Amino acid sequence: MIKYVIKRLLLAIPVLIGVSIIVFLIMRVFSADPAPVVLGQHATAEAMEAWRDANGLNDPILVQYFDFVTGALTGNLGESYYTHTPVMTELLNRFPATVELAIVAIIIAAVIGVALGVVSATHKNTPIDGLATILALVGVSMPIFWLGVLLIILFAGMLHVLPSSGRIDPLLQPVGGTGLYLLDTLLSGDFEAFADAASHIVLPAVALSMYSMAVITRMTRSSMLDTLNEDYVRTARAKGIRKRRVDIHHALRNAMLPVTTVIGLQLGSLLGGAMLTETVFAWPGIGKYVVDSILKSDFPVVQGAVLLIAVIFVIINLVVDVIYAYLDPRIKYSQEEG
Amino acid sequence: MAMAEISRRRFVEALGAAGAVSAFALTGCGSQRASEGGSAAAGGTADTITFAQGADPRGLDPAYVDDGESAKIMCNIYDTLLRYDTETCDIVPGLSDLPEISDDGLTYTFKLHEGVKFHDGTDCNADAVKQNIDRQLEPNRTEDMPYASFVYGSEDTNSGVESVEAPDDTTVVITLRAASTPFIKNMAMALAAPVVAPSAYADGANSNEKPIGSGPYKFVSWSKGENVVLEANEDYWDEEHKPQTKNVIFRFIAENSSRVTALNNGEVDIIDGIDASVVPTITDAGNELFDEDGMNINYMAFRNDEGQFTDVAARKAFCQAVNVGEMVKSLYGDYATPANSVMPIWMAPYDEDIVQTAYDPDAAKAAFADLGITSCTMLTYTNPRPYNSIGGQPLAEAIQGYLADAGVDMEIVSYDWTTYQTKVETDKFDVCLYGWTGDNGDPDNFMNLLADTNVSMNVGRYNNDEYKALIAEGLATEEGEDRDAIYKQCEQMVADEMPWMLISHSKNLAGYSPKVQGFFYHPTGVVHLEGVTKTA
Repeated sequence: MIKYVIKRLLLAIPVLIGVSIIVFLIMRVFSADPAPVVLGQHATAEAMEAWRDANGLNDPILVQYFDFVTGALTGNLGESYYTHTPVMTELLNRFPATVELAIVAIIIAAVIGVALGVVSATHKNTPIDGLATILALVGVSMPIFWLGVLLIILFAGMLHVLPSSGRIDPLLQPVGGTGLYLLDTLLSGDFEAFADAASHIVLPAVALSMYSMAVITRMTRSSMLDTLNEDYVRTARAKGIRKRRVDIHHALRNAMLPVTTVIGLQLGSLLGGAMLTETVFAWPGIGKYVVDSILKSDFPVVQGAVLLIAVIFVIINLVVDVIYAYLDPRIKYSQEEG
Repeated sequence: MAMAEISRRRFVEALGAAGAVSAFALTGCGSQRASEGGSAAAGGTADTITFAQGADPRGLDPAYVDDGESAKIMCNIYDTLLRYDTETCDIVPGLSDLPEISDDGLTYTFKLHEGVKFHDGTDCNADAVKQNIDRQLEPNRTEDMPYASFVYGSEDTNSGVESVEAPDDTTVVITLRAASTPFIKNMAMALAAPVVAPSAYADGANSNEKPIGSGPYKFVSWSKGENVVLEANEDYWDEEHKPQTKNVIFRFIAENSSRVTALNNGEVDIIDGIDASVVPTITDAGNELFDEDGMNINYMAFRNDEGQFTDVAARKAFCQAVNVGEMVKSLYGDYATPANSVMPIWMAPYDEDIVQTAYDPDAAKAAFADLGITSCTMLTYTNPRPYNSIGGQPLAEAIQGYLADAGVDMEIVSYDWTTYQTKVETDKFDVCLYGWTGDNGDPDNFMNLLADTNVSMNVGRYNNDEYKALIAEGLATEEGEDRDAIYKQCEQMVADEMPWMLISHSKNLAGYSPKVQGFFYHPTGVVHLEGVTKTA
């Protein structure tokens, strides 16, 4: 297993190099000149040129890329052009918000998605199955941005039962801790703050979970249908075990293997920052920060954030594969044989 | 194997349990505090006011920022030597009385109020003021001080501050390189001018993230992307501006519609950065609308130095082709006023007698035919701007329609604002959309745009020696009738020569809860919240 992990980590290197090249070139080729944004409306052309020189933007592109990569290798992603704050510090400040939202969203997606998938598979070709399929289709095809706005209008604008934006009432905000407000408030026993943080995360988490939920529903249904046709399921039924017990304890447990992979991969993509969701709900995570920085041509922030997201995705992928191997011994054997 | 099976089962069970707990937490707690806008203090007055704006501040040290989002927060944390009157750009005493100005207009002597303390307990005295100005003067000035050259001038242009002295604890003497009437207004600005405690930036301290001022509110915290929290400075020296509400929170909500919903849902008390399209949503929910004239100009610049519009006759034909009044009413409703001058209507010395080129489509068509102009290119930005809340594209298309009626095919080339700022300097065009939001309420701040050698300020490259001479004269002339006459002459030249087609002055729009009292959005774009209260 250790050899396998090391091999996967080595394979991640070219992936990360590729990502770094692509994001670096995209920012340099398609983004606007950051000098007017950084120096403001009163800056002269000479001042802007001096700033470009000082920040290496007039250096050859290869030199600029080399500087970026050598910095990144030492954990130094540079400073934001706009705020002069270290990019790594800014990303780490915002990361807990993204992690918290992603975890809650994936829990919602997994719980509802698996349940819908199981019901759909066990009631194949019934109206319930049709309803679940329609829900999954809607979830896959509905733009998150639009869904987010709808949820805000309905639950905050019309019903006034949930807050429309933000993470917590600022006066209840926990100080220090992990940065995961639900966890921090719970650990400190501040239940008022916990309730407030929970109420703030409902709408963005539901909006963000919709796509993943749809994917998990379809995967669970398909995997369950395969499993329900297996001999051991038929045998279990022939032995007179109750249908519900067979479905849950025999079929679902085995059907969950590919579903686990999908859940893991969905979590990886959610941790990459839900740019639209974070923007709509003013959720102060990495996604919103990247969007703001793209609009300001803040190259170091965008490059650093995308690289960090790529690293996270690679790690999550690896963790998912390791968990999969742990849950299904056949995978482990095949790796060892290979 | 048995152990492994149990573990796997527990793993799946734990996943399910976590989902169940989370679902319970989410649904069970969902209705908490949703419609509360802040907790109430005894006596019927809420102890928290929440202001929602579109973005984080760039920073909180006035020497290092140039954005309105920062200014709105900073003006509550810091004091300035002088301040603007509550609703106008007239100058009134701040940390100092009005200064004594020497006859040659070069020396300003400020007498500071005694006993003023910064929030950390250090003295807000003449030495602190001197240090604040000194750090923004050459050669101490650094490239990341975007407003230093505007407020304190520079050696290159022989403008601004030559030196600053603090002969005693309460006296500050500022000597200018050349007489400059707007300088006194610069001393009230929310950028570069506010006095920061030297301890906030000494020894590597980060004044941009942990500001220390002497203003009515003290900085408490800044959660990036979320909020800035301030609390009342109970020891504030100025009785007239003592803070009335215990906590002030600035929240950052990027989406317009989300800010509106937050206001209507009672999550925030005041929002800004809105456009006319959301006004009915705000007022229908029972909230109040603030809509006072802003300090801005929305204009279209001709390329005055090359191309088809170097000739006044061509520019006149263009202006005759566009029905500005109709267009402004149609695009902005009641929330912008057709521009009859470069300066906003309320700013002295606006002259109502000056008349811009009248709409005359037949004359325009004939003139274009005579001049052989059948097509042209317009550059525009896409984003909404403070002076143009609907963005550049709809405005460009409206002008395009009028031009088509006059027989001219106008191509529109649009970019996002960030890209656009470079494109207007590098790309070829006949006309471009632009605008300006004033800094200090002085006429020079508007009229000087057409004399500026910096292309990013003077995008139409208007270059008229007579006009420049008037601007130089106005800069050094004391406030009064003589100075007003100079700027009226400038306005008349703009009306006659049409380097710009003036479009509109937009109103400052903000929505606020009916529970809020004393709210006013200053024309300079800042919001002093010390006098604002909210009923519980």
